[in-house]
Amino acid sequence: MSAIIENVDKIFNVSLIYATFRSATPIIFAALCAALTQQANILNIGTEGIMLVGSFTAVGVSYLTGNWVIGVLAAMISGAFIASIMAVGHIKYNAEICAIGMGINMLALAVTKLLLNVIFKTNGTFSDPKIVPIPKVHFAFMDDIPVLNQLLNNWSITEWLAIVLILVLQFLFYKTVWGLRLRAVGQFAMAAQTAGIKVTQIKYQAMIASGLMGGLAGAHLSLGYSTQFVENMTNNRGFMGVAAMYFGGANPILTALGCLLFGFADSVGARLQAYGIPSQFVLMMPYIVTIVILAISMYVKYRNNKRKESSLLAPKAQLKTQG
Amino acid sequence: MNIKASGLKRILFTVVIALVIGAVLILMIGENPIEAYQALFKGAFKGKFGFGNTVATFTPLLLTSIAFAVAAQAGAFNVGVEGEVFLGGIAAAYIGVNFTFLPKPILLITCFLGAMVVAGAWATIPAVLKAYYGVSEVCTTILMNTVAVYITSYLVSGPMSAGTANAQSHSVAVNLPQFMKPSSANVGVFIAIVIVVLVAIMLYKTKFGYKIRVVGTNPAFADCIGINSKKVFINSMILSGAIGGIAGCIEVLGVHGYFLNNFAVGLGSNGMLAALIARSNVVLTPFLAFFLSILKAGAMGMQQSTGVPKALVDTIIAIFIIVATMETLFEFKKKIKRKVKKEKGEAKA
Repeated sequence: MSAIIENVDKIFNVSLIYATFRSATPIIFAALCAALTQQANILNIGTEGIMLVGSFTAVGVSYLTGNWVIGVLAAMISGAFIASIMAVGHIKYNAEICAIGMGINMLALAVTKLLLNVIFKTNGTFSDPKIVPIPKVHFAFMDDIPVLNQLLNNWSITEWLAIVLILVLQFLFYKTVWGLRLRAVGQFAMAAQTAGIKVTQIKYQAMIASGLMGGLAGAHLSLGYSTQFVENMTNNRGFMGVAAMYFGGANPILTALGCLLFGFADSVGARLQAYGIPSQFVLMMPYIVTIVILAISMYVKYRNNKRKESSLLAPKAQLKTQG
Repeated sequence: MNIKASGLKRILFTVVIALVIGAVLILMIGENPIEAYQALFKGAFKGKFGFGNTVATFTPLLLTSIAFAVAAQAGAFNVGVEGEVFLGGIAAAYIGVNFTFLPKPILLITCFLGAMVVAGAWATIPAVLKAYYGVSEVCTTILMNTVAVYITSYLVSGPMSAGTANAQSHSVAVNLPQFMKPSSANVGVFIAIVIVVLVAIMLYKTKFGYKIRVVGTNPAFADCIGINSKKVFINSMILSGAIGGIAGCIEVLGVHGYFLNNFAVGLGSNGMLAALIARSNVVLTPFLAFFLSILKAGAMGMQQSTGVPKALVDTIIAIFIIVATMETLFEFKKKIKRKVKKEKGEAKA
């Protein structure tokens, strides 16, 4: 413990800010993927699977074509394809969303493993110098400015893109007609239909958009965050994204803040490991933080809702919270 | 057609579809699907080792699938069975290593009880969060699985470590006898079957089982007729956790004889798949668990004798689930019939 207190300035310093953001970005993309469908009241449990397929496609295509842009685009298309399987199953054939989502996750894990065996003839990890990563943005003028250089220089393109996408989605959800329709479908599908909104169509659109975003999340993970594909490399990041989405109530900016909290726990944990904290505690920290944050945010929501309900409606309020 | 027969028919349909898609995939790899499937079933049934392996795979799958199904009957989507298996296993290992002063039969029972209590307590956390604050149990249980894996991993590489190269605990003082050696099939399979029968009776013949089913179908209605839906929900999750704990206990006492780091990866999720395909029908779930264990146990044989990788079987199982979850997929026939009838009716008129 004393070692930690002595070295507190080494653990909490300027580079921690970028470290936090860096480990948060894959989760931010995943959370945006989940938020897109959540606005239409579809819980996208398959985020993890979409992301994993995206990672694999990005690495595979980048390796084969030697072009990261095509890799990222292919990842997005593959993500949309996986999401559309889920969309057809859920919307057309009435599949329970959690069940088919878990099925998609299993499928993604199995298919990527299978293709890794069949196409690249390896097990576990695929890394090769021919995989072209997403380039980093280098500002030459920042090289001499100490703090800014550490903070903003050499971000990968997708890391900047994450910030842009948060703002774009915020605008899309709350300032455009499509966003209004999407939220109407999510809040009360029947009323939306009565108002002339094509509910099924909007739901499909949300799922496909979510798939594109999930594919991008995977591409960032395998080409931006690292330059390889590892079996199950998403490692629950998709689920953490879903948790963050809950934390932010599917609002992109609040959701991203939730992701930063996980990123913070992750990167502080990685630093604490150097001072004799067992690695398992460090590794489980983001998960525990997620659960605690989730519990607290839902508790606050529950209390606020209860306060809003008039005392006359109390029995009804009880029923609502169980649904 | 009654519900059970149609359910069975639907499952058979999905089995066929999944196997056909699997065959197409095998063809794409450039292997012979019939040979591959033959090798698969040979691997699962041939000799003491093959069939023993299937039985050994079946034991935990049966328990975890039932654990998931029980929670699902009350409306919970308990992905956390995997974590419960791990914690049940570590509790059994701790008791089996340290409580050697107890006579063996009592020690055995204590191991099981300890596993059930620890795993049940673990399942209480997401249950309470869901019942009272509406926190999605899917999310919390998935995250808690990882936490459970890390907790046990810390314990067997730190405080409970046997000091060997592999992270594992000391050997437990009491074992479930194995039969059909050299496979690791053990008498745990009979314990599992008894538990499944008890659960089925409990669900369909007792008051508590009735309450679970009512809460699962319509919690608001349950509250109106005086069932405390939250309490029933939590209890069913605890029961689900306890069954998961038993699975972990059997794995530790019967298969390994000690707690091996990461020993149960995939046990919980595979059980969940079996239950999902059967829509958590407690009677059908065991059969699907058996079918999945044939596929799983035979996969190794298939990989060894043909060039088809083991991952293909997982792909088939995943497709199986996705097809099985689509509730209205097989209603197209009825629709066509209805259309034909309509047209005929119009023609007559």
